[in-house]
Amino acid sequence: MNNITALSFSTPALLEQLAQLNADQLDQLDFGVIGFDADTNVCRYNRTESDAAGLTAPRVLGQPLFTNVAPCLNNFMVAQRFEDAEDGASALDDTVDYVLTLRMRPIKVALRLLAEPGSAVRYVLVQRRP
Amino acid sequence: MSPGGLSDLATGQLAAEHEALMQFLYLAPVGLVQTGIDGEILMINPISAQLLMPLQRDGNLVNLFEALRDVAPELRHLCAMFTRSNGMICDGLHIHLNHTGYTGGGALRPRRSPQVLSLSLLKLDGERLMAVLSDVSEQVRRERQLRQNDAWLNALLTSITDYALVGLDREGRVSEWNDTIGRVTGHSDDVIGRPYSVFYPVDAITDEQVHDRLREADQNGWNLDEGARLRADGSQFWASAMISPLPDRDLDPEDSDGPAYCMVLRDISDKRDAIETRRKNAFCDHLTGVANRRAFFEAAELELQRNRRAPRPTALILIDADHFKCINDRHGHPGGDAVLRQLGLFLSATFRQVDVVARIGGEEFAVLLPSSTLEGAATVAERLRQLVAAQTVAFDGARIGLTVSAGVAASDGGSDFDLDTLMKRADQALYAAKANGRNRIECWTPALSQSQSLSDRIDRSPRPRDETR
Repeated sequence: MNNITALSFSTPALLEQLAQLNADQLDQLDFGVIGFDADTNVCRYNRTESDAAGLTAPRVLGQPLFTNVAPCLNNFMVAQRFEDAEDGASALDDTVDYVLTLRMRPIKVALRLLAEPGSAVRYVLVQRRP
Repeated sequence: MSPGGLSDLATGQLAAEHEALMQFLYLAPVGLVQTGIDGEILMINPISAQLLMPLQRDGNLVNLFEALRDVAPELRHLCAMFTRSNGMICDGLHIHLNHTGYTGGGALRPRRSPQVLSLSLLKLDGERLMAVLSDVSEQVRRERQLRQNDAWLNALLTSITDYALVGLDREGRVSEWNDTIGRVTGHSDDVIGRPYSVFYPVDAITDEQVHDRLREADQNGWNLDEGARLRADGSQFWASAMISPLPDRDLDPEDSDGPAYCMVLRDISDKRDAIETRRKNAFCDHLTGVANRRAFFEAAELELQRNRRAPRPTALILIDADHFKCINDRHGHPGGDAVLRQLGLFLSATFRQVDVVARIGGEEFAVLLPSSTLEGAATVAERLRQLVAAQTVAFDGARIGLTVSAGVAASDGGSDFDLDTLMKRADQALYAAKANGRNRIECWTPALSQSQSLSDRIDRSPRPRDETR
């Protein structure tokens, strides 16, 4: 197993490595991690993301991501790309500049969108931009 | 003891309530934004970002006015004009979006994107504004249908000066004369055999639109049109005209000259002022008096829908005032406004009544020309360019010179035809006109599409648009 702290927002082939981390290890990452299942319900939510959003994991886990957790991602720039990847049975690993509304402040972030055919969990990773 | 002297229990309760309140705002199904008086975003909830982010060229969201600049250029102006210390600046203002900005990449498709946003702006004090944003695309669609029904009822219930009953054949030609036609329009029986466009002012309807209305009457059971009509002596009156198919017209297919439709033409001149005021409020740009974005996109969608049913050439011209920022810098916004008003007058004087002339951005205008070819539209655009370049605008003792650049695109009709494509092509042609030195007209060619999309991929820069204010 790699040293967890060596994982960064831009580490290549990150999806399979995230899948191997347990909740505590996920909490140690310095970028936000939101994992969601085939029904788009949130199944992984790390501390960095929780602190940034001001929401504790119990309020978020099990909730549908694009309607109840992060409706701001429900557009063609994010949600649509996951749908397209699913429809085309293709892998998704894109990074897009975005503005999230964390604690009602507009925060510039980079979003990394990760999905692979057959993978149980898809991820949105969040890193603040300067 | 916790900060502020609260007990741990109270602090814990406060934290839980704070989190619940946060989530309440995260999940609110309308967009809420608080900004500085200059539009700088101070607080914003997620739905706002969902609605606004697709409009951003640079992936940032810093200023609300800037974020909506391309689709609601008047916002800054509205706020500046609002002199009271607090109150509602606008309530449910409809902002019509179009998707030409979204077409840059394969994954960037407009699916899911709203067509119309509603914006309310509340001035809290000299420092802060609150904005409420929501996607009202579906309501607008329903309202449009209701408005049509209203117009229909209006036609039935409005007090009538007089009406004419006109029989039309399959092709829309007047098939019989009666004395109601004589009374309302002054035409004698030599009007028989002429298409019903004879009742329209010159240039107010095309041959294709004559048939469009008949097809719509076939499909819906009726077609209604309000507007200016012409008497035999050339004088005009304001009319409501309803065309309905006659029930027995299929019985005798040989008799192609017999009446197939009934047109009821009502003189509603005495209602005209009220109708015009209502129309102006809803569909006119406040500054220039030409159509606004809402009117443009409604009219363009309708024309293209008809085009899909009965293909015919349709042209679009996008017109942009050159170096408009310099004019604003040198003469101030009132000078810029004077130039835009004059440009509106030039546009209205140049194009036909049937053309839809609209202001769709700060200094950007669009003209939709039904039943026009690329060459035809380019000729008129060139006439406009020369007219504008030859005149100056008087303002505050100065004479302001102005030129315009224009991009022309057209389609010869067909099923693969849509407004997005036409807008995009005209925009590419306009880009070329700007890049080739301004004060010129460019027509779209397939080569333009390739060169433009290439430059898109390289630097993603928008066309060299003269900065809006």
